[in-house]
Amino acid sequence: MANDRSLTELITQSRVWKSIFRQGYPTSEENRTKVIVNSWFLHIHPVKVKAHTLKIKYTWGMGVITMVLFLLLVGTGAWLMFFYVPSVERAYTDIQNLETGVTFGMLMRNLHRWAAHLMVITVFLHMCRVFYTGGYKHPREFNWIIGVILWVLTLLLSFTGYLLPWDQLAYWAITVSTNIIGEAPLIGELLRLILLGANEPGPEALIRFYTLHIAILPLVMTALLGIHFWRIRKDGGLSSPLEGTQHGRGGQ
Amino acid sequence: MADYPARWKVLSMDVGDSNVKEETQEIFPKDSRKTYGLMELVKGTSPMVEKGPEDTVMSWPHLLILEVLAALGTTIFLLFLSLVANAPLRELANPDVTENPAKAAWYFLNLQELLLHMHPALAGVIIPTLVIVALMAIPYIDRSKKDIGIWFASKKGQAIAIWSTVYTTVLLIGLILFDEYIRVRALISEPELFPGWLIPIAVIGGLSIILYVLIRRWRPSTREVLVGFFTAFVVSCFVLTISSLFFRGLGMRLTLPWELPPGALPF
Repeated sequence: MANDRSLTELITQSRVWKSIFRQGYPTSEENRTKVIVNSWFLHIHPVKVKAHTLKIKYTWGMGVITMVLFLLLVGTGAWLMFFYVPSVERAYTDIQNLETGVTFGMLMRNLHRWAAHLMVITVFLHMCRVFYTGGYKHPREFNWIIGVILWVLTLLLSFTGYLLPWDQLAYWAITVSTNIIGEAPLIGELLRLILLGANEPGPEALIRFYTLHIAILPLVMTALLGIHFWRIRKDGGLSSPLEGTQHGRGGQ
Repeated sequence: MADYPARWKVLSMDVGDSNVKEETQEIFPKDSRKTYGLMELVKGTSPMVEKGPEDTVMSWPHLLILEVLAALGTTIFLLFLSLVANAPLRELANPDVTENPAKAAWYFLNLQELLLHMHPALAGVIIPTLVIVALMAIPYIDRSKKDIGIWFASKKGQAIAIWSTVYTTVLLIGLILFDEYIRVRALISEPELFPGWLIPIAVIGGLSIILYVLIRRWRPSTREVLVGFFTAFVVSCFVLTISSLFFRGLGMRLTLPWELPPGALPF
């Protein structure tokens, strides 16, 4: 190859590179449009966004941070699953072993735990932000409902994960919580029985909470997150004061 | 739409097979003046009709840089947190040894606090369900499109939010102290219907009506009324959680935070 071509050029002008990234580096408006449209990861964004919605003081980034936390939780959670068996005999010792015998075990468990707590906070703050800025108004009514469901799902995910270490803290928290559920009129006892699989928290409850925590709830959550983001686009991006003064729908 | 021909879909069929092409040309003769790029006519106007400038910026880099920063900031913060504080792990679960106090996860402690003051079904199931339904109903109660994207809607909304915060905080602390030191159940314990159901419902209902009457002084819009009630909800969550988390010791009795028994904090 000729000497006047740098290594960067050699790579970015190769057939392989161009087959993956179909446009040049996004310095021009055209490439900045294409980079969003061409990428599976980026095409969830509109090509252009309202400047007002980027102000930190408008959203405080709570929605994005919540999503980041969710991804971190999926990542660290999958890693934790390698070292954890949801049985009454093994659960507790697996966590002990994770903390002392597994490289980065303690760190990963800490990350998962604190990210979960933080997500409960940020998802609530996100809901407050959307409420106080009137983001639930037409045409975003239904996305607000999805958001409320996502908040409840976050609590349920956190709650089901709480039992898994099978220590005193977990056991008694779940005992207290499921007793409350059992108090529900008419369906309470049934609901408690379905959740625990027995009259007291035991092996049946552990496997049910585990399955809910690592499969069912994350799947439901992922599906609803997809709808949540899709509808942000369909409803014209994030809410902004420009809408209130005009008749049209925000189109993005 | 009357100016347009009845056939709405104009398909440009560029098919290699010559037979197909001939057939296609019989139906839609190719006109050299047309582009054949139009795929469909839709109802409505182009996106910018009846609108001012949207003041938009390119997502790359303006939005993406913020997302990357949020991701990095969150990850660094969590790494730091994970280095200074370990996730709790107590003794092996033992159904024979009751934790005292036995506390739920902190985000359910607001409900556990409510539980101390009314029938468990009311505190743990009925009120949370009603709250979730009420939250979902918000967009259908406030249907105006005014002041979208403005925090608290207006100066009036701000004043209502601040006022609702003070009102809810003072009353909740007062109620918690009243039920600890004077106790509703010491005044009326029989039948259970009174301390468990009727008195709590009357107190919550009554205080909500008073809140509404007081908010009315501002002559608020529907949204500003909702700001008052939503604020009362958020502040209630906060005050009840703090009370239950930091001020409840043995047997869930009121205790000062520095006098809590060891292990009373659920993290």
